[in-house]
Amino acid sequence: MAELRCAGLAKSYGTRLVLSDLDLVVPAGTLTAILGASGSGKTTLLRLIIGFITPDEGTIMLGDNVVANAGGANVAPDKRSIGYVAQEGALFPHLTVAENVAFGLPRAERKSSARIGEALDLVGLSQEYAGRSPHELSGGEQRRVALARALAPRPRIVLLDEPFSGLDASLRTETREAVVNALALEGTTAVLVTHDQAEALSMGREVALLRAGRLVQTATPTSLYRDPVDLDVAHFIGEAVVLPGTASAGVVECALGRLDVRTPNLEGAVQVMIRPEQIQLTTGGVRAEVVDHVYYGPETIVRLVLADDSRTPILAKSFAQDVPAAGEIVNVAVTGPVAAYPPQ
Amino acid sequence: MRRRSLTNPFSTIPLELLAVCIVVAILVALPVGITVVQAFQGGISAIRDALSASSSSTLLVHTVLLAAAATPVAGVIGVAGAWFVERTKLPFRQVWALLLVAPLTVPLFVTSYAWATLGQPLQGFWGAAGIVAFSYYPIIYLLVAVALRGLDPALEETARALGLNARQTFFRVVLPQLRPALLGGLLLVALDALVEFDAFVALKFQTFSSDIYAQYRLGFSISGAAALSFFSILICLVFLFGEARLRGNANYTRVSQGARRATTRYELGKWLIPVMAGLGAVIAVSVGIPIAMLIKWFSESTSAGVSMAAANTKYLFPASVTSIGLGLGAALVAILFAFPIAILAVKHKGPVVTILERATYLSFALPDLVAAIALSYAASHWVPSVYGSFGLLVFAEAILFTPFAVVAIRATLGQIEPALEDSARALGSSSLRALWRVTMPLARPGFVAAAVLVFAFVLGDLSTAQVLLPLNLYTLGTEFQANSSTVAFAAAAPFAAVLIVLAMAAAYVLMSRFGKVRSVGDG
Repeated sequence: MAELRCAGLAKSYGTRLVLSDLDLVVPAGTLTAILGASGSGKTTLLRLIIGFITPDEGTIMLGDNVVANAGGANVAPDKRSIGYVAQEGALFPHLTVAENVAFGLPRAERKSSARIGEALDLVGLSQEYAGRSPHELSGGEQRRVALARALAPRPRIVLLDEPFSGLDASLRTETREAVVNALALEGTTAVLVTHDQAEALSMGREVALLRAGRLVQTATPTSLYRDPVDLDVAHFIGEAVVLPGTASAGVVECALGRLDVRTPNLEGAVQVMIRPEQIQLTTGGVRAEVVDHVYYGPETIVRLVLADDSRTPILAKSFAQDVPAAGEIVNVAVTGPVAAYPPQ
Repeated sequence: MRRRSLTNPFSTIPLELLAVCIVVAILVALPVGITVVQAFQGGISAIRDALSASSSSTLLVHTVLLAAAATPVAGVIGVAGAWFVERTKLPFRQVWALLLVAPLTVPLFVTSYAWATLGQPLQGFWGAAGIVAFSYYPIIYLLVAVALRGLDPALEETARALGLNARQTFFRVVLPQLRPALLGGLLLVALDALVEFDAFVALKFQTFSSDIYAQYRLGFSISGAAALSFFSILICLVFLFGEARLRGNANYTRVSQGARRATTRYELGKWLIPVMAGLGAVIAVSVGIPIAMLIKWFSESTSAGVSMAAANTKYLFPASVTSIGLGLGAALVAILFAFPIAILAVKHKGPVVTILERATYLSFALPDLVAAIALSYAASHWVPSVYGSFGLLVFAEAILFTPFAVVAIRATLGQIEPALEDSARALGSSSLRALWRVTMPLARPGFVAAAVLVFAFVLGDLSTAQVLLPLNLYTLGTEFQANSSTVAFAAAAPFAAVLIVLAMAAAYVLMSRFGKVRSVGDG
């Protein structure tokens, strides 16, 4: 395992700037999720780290080695000792599971290495799988074998490119747990690239948000969710209610009352960002009218408008079994501190 | 989920690959270069004389008309055949597929003699156009069948859901997506028609190639023959770059490859009988005629000239050995030439790639005979040690059929998921090792298809062997030719029989391998 350090990375295709001024540090033995919409530059960043393309500016370091240096020496992908799990696994169809897992091992160890069984073990697959062909595996098993193949040569870092895409919800959760578990057992440094917020938040020690080729925020999942750097990030990470307000001395005054704010140095007119689960249907607080609701099983998203002249729309998340019907007047209150931003 | 395109327009071509491809392009274009030099050796006046001869313009018109008549017919047969085999519930699909591919591997000179014996009307323009159309449509069939398999069935389903019937879906959704494969196939057929010679050996129809042959054989004017070849080089260049323009950047087939659902096949219903009758007629014309003639020749030999046929059979074995050796050698060399070009064409884009890829088609710019003369001339003047050697013939056959090997290998390489090579690279394989350990095993069906295609073409080649075959050797083709020019075809029949048996075996392998690739999606 090794630390990954990208400094000042930039990459253009022709006149199109895909990545610019990108700094990223992934501490040894941890998993960082790179989260971004499609076209944000995720795949380009991944391919720069693996070495399929070279940066126009900046450097990439793995541990103490400079592996990519704009204008300087670039280490070939096969010399970087990087484990790579491609979308949908990319298992070699002409090889068995064992041969796939052994692919990156030194020639002498490929036939009968204890490491093959060990790697299968890591991802929670039994030895029975060794002789099977990739086409005899389910989608989730294919991803596990792909990870076992990446881990077998003990890489310094593992890169996962949307490794769970195309799996159904329950298989996704199960496979995700198997991957997190295997990475933790090996203590491998890992980078996960995804466009799925829940996946990034649940798997990453840190989440780095990539937008139009720039890393706009790198933070722990909780602080990224609760204290996003701007409103765009707030909306990208999850549902958000945004109201105008006035800040003063760590408190913000808005249509939902006087609320504690996480950014105490703001003063004057602000935009207040509240997560729907912070807005609760209670007995006290501000009056609002139910417009409709969307049922998700464990929780229900309730759409409301404030019962004043402003008719400001808001969202509340309810975990109660019974939710008020459309047209009912309810009381809402905010729990916990909120985020605030200067007006745009 | 987004799938990265296999072609990265911004990637730089590795220098080693570029160097190898340039060498291959030069080797394949060698006969064209030599021919141009030869043409000028006779002086400008000789060129002017050759071009202004009254027959030249007539033959030029003949040749272009022939290509214009044969190519669309081959296109319609190829596309229809591929669609019915790949997309409908036609019974005995495997058998139909085999029979539809078979004409490609039947030697053209055998077909030519077979058609000629059918009667006078077939010895002219229509016979010539018919032979070309019915012998070369399998090229289009194979390319279109592969493209059809690569199409995303969701597109057709969407079209049907939007209210289009099967016919409208075919013309508005399927056919536009087949454009790259179809144009590529039409190009190969048209180029072949322009320089074809073997197909017309038994006909009275004169084309450009026959005139060049006459210049060479009768007038023994190498520069005259070379000068005439200017026309074919020119037409070839127009076709090559015309097709590139038409094709544009369209590369639809690759968008949806990878894990695919099985396609739904249409019920033929009341069309079953007409469709089977139509396909049956195509096969009767293309394969039935040569085989029926072969049987007739055999029956003549038993009734009339048993002793004559028996006398010739002692040449059957050595001729078979030479033909098979020549075919295998040329197939190997052609694959070595074609593989780097196919890799270049699949993985890279840009003007350099287009020029190098197109350059391999220059072997179509000359009638085989002229190319053979050019190589023979060059060898005798500059490399006497290879002049008259078997190796030179192998080389000549290989470069003539390299474009077909490129097409076959490319059809497979294009379907290999790029993530597989990426994974191998990340697992510590150098690009060459990744090629060896991942790409080549997966592309094996493509190599087999390429080898079989070249092997079959070499077996069916006559004119190149006539010029370059060492004096003490004979092939099945030359022996067939030698014996058929005597009183009856009876003596030639055993040679044709071996050729057709080998051709059928080749067709079987070709049909089962062309454009296939091993993937996780296979059941």
